[in-house]
Amino acid sequence: MAKFDPIEGRFVYLTIQGVKYRVYYEESGQGIPIICQHSAGSQGLEWRHMLTDPEIISKYHVIVADLPYHGRSLPPESVQWWKEEYKLTKSFFIDFQIELSRALGLVKPVYIGTAAGGFLALNLALEHPSEFRAVIGVEAAKHAGTATLDTFDHPYIGNDYKRANAMYFSAPANPEKYRRAITWVSMLAAPPVTKGDMNYYFIEHDLTEKTQQIDTSRCVVYLLTGEYDPTSTVEDTMELAKEVKGSKFTEMKGMSHAGMAENPVLFKKYLMPILNEIASK
Amino acid sequence: MAVHFIDPDKTSSIVDVLNSDPEFKIAARYMTKDVCIEVGKTKCIIKFRDGVITQIKSENAFADPWNFAIRGSLDAWEKFLQPIPPRFYDGIFGGMIRGNFVLEGDTVSAFSHFWAVTRMLDIFRELQNK
Repeated sequence: MAKFDPIEGRFVYLTIQGVKYRVYYEESGQGIPIICQHSAGSQGLEWRHMLTDPEIISKYHVIVADLPYHGRSLPPESVQWWKEEYKLTKSFFIDFQIELSRALGLVKPVYIGTAAGGFLALNLALEHPSEFRAVIGVEAAKHAGTATLDTFDHPYIGNDYKRANAMYFSAPANPEKYRRAITWVSMLAAPPVTKGDMNYYFIEHDLTEKTQQIDTSRCVVYLLTGEYDPTSTVEDTMELAKEVKGSKFTEMKGMSHAGMAENPVLFKKYLMPILNEIASK
Repeated sequence: MAVHFIDPDKTSSIVDVLNSDPEFKIAARYMTKDVCIEVGKTKCIIKFRDGVITQIKSENAFADPWNFAIRGSLDAWEKFLQPIPPRFYDGIFGGMIRGNFVLEGDTVSAFSHFWAVTRMLDIFRELQNK
C-alpha cells in the first residue's frame, strides 16, 4: 500500500497589480486558516513539515504558496519579464497575500512567514490589520543590515555559493538531513530570484518610525527569532518587539534563520503555544 | 588551544583527509587558487590545483601571494573550531556579517568556490575535535 502525504497541491490564478499569475499552492488540514510564507530565494517546500504534522492539521488549515517566479509558480505569460531585472517589491509582496487569501475564501487567516516573509508579517499588521487575526514574524526585524546583492546573481558565481551559504543559516546542532535539505531548496531558486527577493529584504523593508503605528489590538503580533540567525539577530527582534506595543517575542534557542525547515520538531515546540493562544481567542 | 590546521606537524595529514573527503572532492572541482587563512598573526596559504589541495603552508608564508584571504583573531578561530560553535562563529559568512571574520582579495573567486572553502573549514573543525 503506497503511503501518501495529506497535502493537496493545485494552481490558482491571481491578478496582482494588473498582472495575472498562475500560482501554485499546497494545503492540508482543516480549521483556522494559516498562510505560510517562504523566505527569499526559496519556495513553499520550506513549510512541508507544517503541512504534514497531524496535530497541526487536525486544528488548522495550512496553506503554502510559491510566490510568482518561485517554485512551480512561473513568471507571468502576459509580461516580457526577461527584459527587466526581477525585483520583489514590498507592495507586490503585500498584495500577493491579500489576493491569495481572498481568492481562497479565507476568513481572517493567521499569517506566518520567515525571514523576508517574517519581515512582511509586520507590514501586514501595519497596513492590513483587519485581514488577519494574527501574524507571526519568524526572524523579523525593523530592517536588515546592508549586503552586497550581486553575489546572488553573478555569471562567475554558481549555485555552489547558495548551497554553502544556506548551510550556515541553519544552526550547527540541528539534524544534518534537514540542514542539507535547506541547501538543496536554496539551489532550486533561479539566481535572479534570490537576488531580486533581497530587494525587499535589504532595501525596501524598513519599519523605522512605523513600528508604533502597528495596532496589536487589531492584529496580534507574535515574533520568533533563532539564537543563531546572523542577519535578523535576537537583539534586532527584541528591539522591534519593544517598539511594537503588545507584541510577543520568543527567542528560539538552538535555531537560526529557517526554524521550521532546519528543525521542525523544535520549531513546533515554539509555535504551538502561539497557535493555541490564537485558537483560544 | 592550538589550532591544528596551522600546525606544520599536522598539515600534511590534514591535506590527505581533505583530498579524500567525498564532499570536498565534489565541492573543490576545477578550483585552482591560493587561499590565505590568517589566524591572528599567523598566515597560512592553502594551495588548490585542479580541485586538489597540494599544500597547506603555515611556515614562512609571509611573502606568498594569494587570491583571497579569510582573516580572524585567534579567539575567533578557536570559537569557530568548537564542536558546536557559538552563534556568529558557526559559519564564515555569518561571521563576516557580524564582523568576526574578514574576507579580502578576489571575493568573486571566494564566492565561486565558497562550497569548497566552507567544507574545508568544516573538516578543519572535525579534525580539531578528533
